[in-house]
Amino acid sequence: MSDFYCKTVNPKDPADAAIDAIFPHDLTLHYYKYLPVRYENLRAAKFVLENVDVIFSGVREYNDGGWCYCGHPPQWYVRPGKIEDFPQDMVFTVYMNPNYRIYECRAEFSANDDPKRPLDWQNRYGGVVWTNIS
Amino acid sequence: MDQHFLNGMHDGPQEFRPQPWYNPDGDCIIYQVSDEAFVAHRIDDMLTIYRSLTGDRIIGFQIKGVHAILKKSGWEGLSVSSEIGSGRVKSVSIAAMLLAAYEEKPFTMGRRRGYASAMQSPEYSCDIPLAEFQPA
Repeated sequence: MSDFYCKTVNPKDPADAAIDAIFPHDLTLHYYKYLPVRYENLRAAKFVLENVDVIFSGVREYNDGGWCYCGHPPQWYVRPGKIEDFPQDMVFTVYMNPNYRIYECRAEFSANDDPKRPLDWQNRYGGVVWTNIS
Repeated sequence: MDQHFLNGMHDGPQEFRPQPWYNPDGDCIIYQVSDEAFVAHRIDDMLTIYRSLTGDRIIGFQIKGVHAILKKSGWEGLSVSSEIGSGRVKSVSIAAMLLAAYEEKPFTMGRRRGYASAMQSPEYSCDIPLAEFQPA
């Protein structure tokens, strides 16, 4: 039983060294066994962690801490064995708890004012931690 | 596409199974009834629903802040007992949990529609054994 580690921007101090985001074994095993398309789309989650556009803090009302990493993977799985370009009007979001453990990754529609941010980003997060300006 | 980065870490058969799963790292329950990509629609702090890419079907949902809901409603208010073999097993009812989450916030038309959608998704009435609710 081993977790998978993936380097990404440090959400506590983006100027500091990268952190290891953790894909927990329990999650990847559950996806592997019972949610095969989600398992394939962990590739998109890893892409987002390595090519993040925006990071938000304060993702939950009832749980302290946590971050949302947003990005735009080139492709994703839409059905078993079927790959398509990732839609231009969506962002792929990866949610991480305060222990840097990934617990959710998914597509969401983009905000009208910024295609790199999810819809209603102004009201649902604590704040913007980091934006990729390169 | 390239080889999966987790290739070799897991083995055995892969079979889609529409069953609710409590994820301790996210303190959330995810439930998906179809093995396909989806777009997530956040209803409120406690519920996100998963829509098919064509938007015409609800294929699942995520309930967040599970322990806060359990703490407020109590295990007894959310649990059901069932006979399995010769013993009785206590489980948390997903339907009861959705109702408890709905009651947490002011009633609005958007929330009502969102929660109704979640409860209309096929097989929503599944339960999760009490023993699985161990926080991370």
